[in-house]
Amino acid sequence: MTDYLVAPNLFVLCEDLVGWILKVLSDGILGIAPVGSPVEPLRGLGYALVADSVVTFLAWVVAVLVMFVWAALINLLTMMWVERKFYSRMQDRYGIMISIWSLPVWPFTWWTKRRGKPTHRGLGYLQNLVDGVKLIQKENITPALADSAMFHTAPVLVVSSTVVIFAAMPFSDGFVVANMPLSLLFILAAFSLAPLGVLIAGWSANNKYTLIGGMRAAAMMMAYEIPLLLAVVAVLIYSGTLNVIDIVNAQAGPLATFGPISIPKWNVLSIPQFVGFVVFTVAMIAELERIPFDIPEAEAELVEGWLTEYTGMRYGIIYGFKWLRALAGSALIVVLYLGGWLGPVWTLNVSIGGNALGIPILPQEVWFLLKIYIVFVVLVWVSWSVPRFRIDQVLNVGWKRLIPLSLLAILVAALFAAFGPMLGGIR
Amino acid sequence: MAVDWELTAFLILAVLEIGGSIMVVVSRKLVHAVFWLAMTLVTIGGVYLLLRAEFVFLIQILVYAGAVPVLFLFGIMLTRRKIMEEVTPGEVAREVAPEEPKEGNP
Repeated sequence: MTDYLVAPNLFVLCEDLVGWILKVLSDGILGIAPVGSPVEPLRGLGYALVADSVVTFLAWVVAVLVMFVWAALINLLTMMWVERKFYSRMQDRYGIMISIWSLPVWPFTWWTKRRGKPTHRGLGYLQNLVDGVKLIQKENITPALADSAMFHTAPVLVVSSTVVIFAAMPFSDGFVVANMPLSLLFILAAFSLAPLGVLIAGWSANNKYTLIGGMRAAAMMMAYEIPLLLAVVAVLIYSGTLNVIDIVNAQAGPLATFGPISIPKWNVLSIPQFVGFVVFTVAMIAELERIPFDIPEAEAELVEGWLTEYTGMRYGIIYGFKWLRALAGSALIVVLYLGGWLGPVWTLNVSIGGNALGIPILPQEVWFLLKIYIVFVVLVWVSWSVPRFRIDQVLNVGWKRLIPLSLLAILVAALFAAFGPMLGGIR
Repeated sequence: MAVDWELTAFLILAVLEIGGSIMVVVSRKLVHAVFWLAMTLVTIGGVYLLLRAEFVFLIQILVYAGAVPVLFLFGIMLTRRKIMEEVTPGEVAREVAPEEPKEGNP
């Protein structure tokens, strides 16, 4: 029961909740349909509701829904808001300001008038919802000579491959839908499915801009997927497992202790993994098509590249899902190099089952989100400070710099893993 | 009433796989062929999953989903097929009939 309180397991919680609700429903049905009454066949339904298979299935559905709402609705909107607000401030302007006080209905109008506030004077969190509502109202146009089936398939490929990432992406020890032994490989495989959708989108719209954008996206994502995976290999040499949760737990423990402060044993603090961290971050910025590498959708020359011909909510979905990919990418950086959800732990002197009971100062999910948003803000900061590369510069950096660097990281990591104990525990 | 779900899954995957591989050969457009090829390779991955080889399944998706766009690129670049439907003035005229020029001021 104690570890239950420290790290609630999403599936166990959902199973308890669903089981409890179904039990109440089943008892109600059995109560209104006693034996011998004309509605007695309902008792079969009452017994079926509490069957193990039904409860387990519904618990999976609820767990997936919880993760989807959490990742795709709450964090997607928050990340868009953070980015828009942050780059507006960098450009010395206020940015989006529509909030709930902008609604033209009674309590809000009354409040704003009484305080003498102008209408648009909020934090701006509702702006992205407003944009979504606007995009839903717009017409979906399919270009006359486009390949209609492929044109409609491409957003599905991009979006579904992004959502699938969150089936395996943990937000803490317990907040995960499916804890598979190969979950890191699963996440990377889902990540690598999107370029196919991008290329199909670029080709099928039958537009020169989209075709060039799709070609550039394919060339760039191919060039940057290789250093991404090679940098992950260097991490795997240290952690020895492909499970994300085990990779994070391998980074627990102090690297060095100075008085009361102990430096954590995060991967980024070891020599070869730091090289891998730099390579992985740069490659991840390219995979997310953020600004120094956003040549596939350079709006000044390609008018949004492979997105040009999409309209209405179809455009909104594939444009907005870039932030979901940004969430997954930042989470991967944090998991692999920055210690995941591990934070300062307040260790009690009570021992339970032979282990000292450690209570995180903040919940693990809060630490994880804090790190994700810090990484994301750094990515946004880089994006809006630097100009865009040309496509040949992008490919040169990818093939000639990042791949040798990631191979070097693998080599040094392997050497340190083999001979580290002889060299005085060097990492 | 006992349904063999693995057999059902295998049958669905096999039908998709065979249909996809036939479509690779049959389809006239190069890019459609590449798309069907991707579907064939991913469904083969699904068969690996049914054989309890999760690692091979994930590597199959990782490698082939990465390799197929490259094939796609080379297919577009190195063949002489037309890659875009060109809009000629005649085609536009057939779709939207132009108005007759009127004489004098309207």
